[in-house]
Amino acid sequence: MSLKAYRVAYLGSDGEAALALENALKDVGFPFLRETCDPAGVQKAVGFNPDIVLWDTENSQPDEKFPLAVLREAGFDNQPLVAVARRNDMESAVASLAGGAVDFIFKPINENPLPRMLAALNVGQKQLRIDWCNRVIEDTNNQIKGVLSNLSDPAYIVSPEYQVLWMNRPAEEIFGEGQRGGACHHVFYDRTEPCEVCQKNKGSARWRAMLKNGKNYRFISAVVRNGRGEVEKLAVGTDITPDEEVQKIHKTFIANVSHDLRTPLAAIDQYVNILLEGLAGELTGDQREYVDVIRRSSFRLHSLVENLIDANKILSGDFKLRMEVMSIQDILDVVVEMLRSQAEDKGLTFQVQVAEGLPPVYADKARIAQVVANIAGNSIKFTEQGMIQIRGGFMPRDEGRVIVSVEDTGIGVPREDLGKIFELFYRVEKDKVYVEEGAGLGLSISREIVRAHGGTLWAESMEGMGSAFHFALPVHGTGHA
Amino acid sequence: MGEDKKLILVADDDKDLVTALSIRLRAAGYAVVGAHDGDEAYEVAHESKPDLIILDVRMPAGGGFASIDKIKHSLTTRSIPVIFLTAFDDEEMREEARRQGAVGFFRKPFDDAEFMGAIRNVLSKS
Repeated sequence: MSLKAYRVAYLGSDGEAALALENALKDVGFPFLRETCDPAGVQKAVGFNPDIVLWDTENSQPDEKFPLAVLREAGFDNQPLVAVARRNDMESAVASLAGGAVDFIFKPINENPLPRMLAALNVGQKQLRIDWCNRVIEDTNNQIKGVLSNLSDPAYIVSPEYQVLWMNRPAEEIFGEGQRGGACHHVFYDRTEPCEVCQKNKGSARWRAMLKNGKNYRFISAVVRNGRGEVEKLAVGTDITPDEEVQKIHKTFIANVSHDLRTPLAAIDQYVNILLEGLAGELTGDQREYVDVIRRSSFRLHSLVENLIDANKILSGDFKLRMEVMSIQDILDVVVEMLRSQAEDKGLTFQVQVAEGLPPVYADKARIAQVVANIAGNSIKFTEQGMIQIRGGFMPRDEGRVIVSVEDTGIGVPREDLGKIFELFYRVEKDKVYVEEGAGLGLSISREIVRAHGGTLWAESMEGMGSAFHFALPVHGTGHA
Repeated sequence: MGEDKKLILVADDDKDLVTALSIRLRAAGYAVVGAHDGDEAYEVAHESKPDLIILDVRMPAGGGFASIDKIKHSLTTRSIPVIFLTAFDDEEMREEARRQGAVGFFRKPFDDAEFMGAIRNVLSKS
C-alpha cells in the first residue's frame, strides 16, 4: 500500500523527539522539517507548506493557551495541528485539544507516530470540509441577508433565545435602530414574555401581527443555520393592510348592493299581496293569474339575488360556519319534505335511505342542508321520469367519512361537461338552448361549503341514464374542526 | 271603535313600502302612522305613542339605530316595542338590534306570514 507523501513540520526544541519523528517518517517517505518556535522558524515552516503541523507544548509557558490563533495567523491556514507533549502530561494534552489541536502525541516518541498523524490528517480534512460547508453557509446567509436588506418589507433574524440578531432597514424603520441584542418579543411587541407563536413553533411558523407602525403584517418564519452551525430563526413580514382595505371596501360594496337589490323586492311583494288579498278590489281570473306571475318572478329574482350574494360571500371566503355535532339524518330532515313534494309534483319517485348506526358529523346544519337542497334540486330539475334517491352511508377512508349520495334517472351530464359543472357560472348547454333557468352558481357554492367542512363533493354521470352526486364529510372527532 | 285599534308606526324611507304596509296593516285591523327618516320616526313616536314601531335601518336624518337609541332613552317611548325591518343581512347588525332592545329583526324581502305573526304576537303582549 502506498501512501501519499504527506509533509510534516515539527515546531519545537526537543532534539530527541525531532529525531524520532524524522526516523519514523523517513521510513514512509514523508518529507519532514524541524523548526524552532520563534517567528523565523515558524515562517520557514509555513514556507515548507506542511500537511500537518506538530507543536511541542514545551514551547509554551505552563499556563499559556494552545496558540491556535497565532499559528493560523502565521500562515497555517487549515492544517491540522497536533500537540507533542511531555510524557503523561495529560494536562497540556487536554488543554491543547481544548485549544484547537486535533490530537496529541506523548514523548518519548518510541512508538510509530504515523497512525495517529494519519488519523489527525483525517480529522483535519473532515474539519476542512466542515469549515468549507460553514463558509458556504455563511456566504449563503450573507447573500440571503443581502436580498432581505433590499426588501421593502421587514425581515429579521432572532436566536433561539429570542434575541434579535439582525434586522433589515424596513424593520429598523418600524422598530428603531440599535435594537440588536434585545429580546424580540420586547423589541417588536413590547411584551415581557415570548409570544405564543414562538413558544409553540420552534421552527417554521406563520402568524399575523399589527406592528408599531399600525399596519397589519403576515409573517412567515424559517429556521436557518449560521456559519457556526447555530440555529437561528429568520422571519419576513408582508404588509397586508392594503389587502384588508380592499376586502373591507368589497364587503361594504356587496352589503350596499345587496341592500339596494332587496329593497324593491319587499315593495313588489307587498303590492302583490295587496292585489291578491283583494285590498284594491276583487281581481278577475286573468288578473289573478298575471299577478301570480309577478309573484313568482319576484320570488325567482329574490332567489337569484340571494344566491349571488351567497356565492360572493362563500367564494370570497367571507362566511362563517356554525358547527355542531349532528347526524346526517338531522340534516336531511331539514330539506327532505320540501324535496319530496317537489319530486312528487313532477310525478317522480322519491326515496331516502340512511344506513343505521352512522357516526355523527361536525357540520353547519343549514349549510349542508343547502348543499343537499341544491344537488337534489338539480336532480329533480333534470329528471322527467323515474326516481330521485338520497342515500346516507359510511366510507371507511382515512378515519371514516359519512357519505351522502343523490342519484337520479335524469338526462345526465355530458362527459365533456362533467369536469366543468362545478365551475362558477357554468351551465350545460343543450343544442345551444338553455334547458332550465339557473345562474350556474349552486354547484360551485355547494363544493365550497363541503370543502369548508373538510369534505369532498363529486359527480358521476352517464348522458341519458342519470347522474349521481356524492359528498363526504369527516366523521366527528377525526381532528377536523 | 277606532279608539281600540292598536297603533303601528312604520318608519321607512321607501315610501312605496310604507304605503303598502299601511294598506295591509289597516286591512288587518291596525291603525298606522308613517315616517320617512330617522328624526321623523322619533318625533312621530314621541307624539303619537304607538303600540309598536317598525323601523328601517338605513334612512336619512339618522338611521334606525339612532332612532331606537333615542326611543329607548326617552321615558315616553322607552317601553314601545321595536321591530327592525331592513334589507341588510348582517349578523352584527342583528346582534346590535337585540342589544338595543328590539324585539324583532326582519330582512327584506320578508316572509309575510312570519312578519304578520310577529306583529300579532308583540301586540298581544302589550
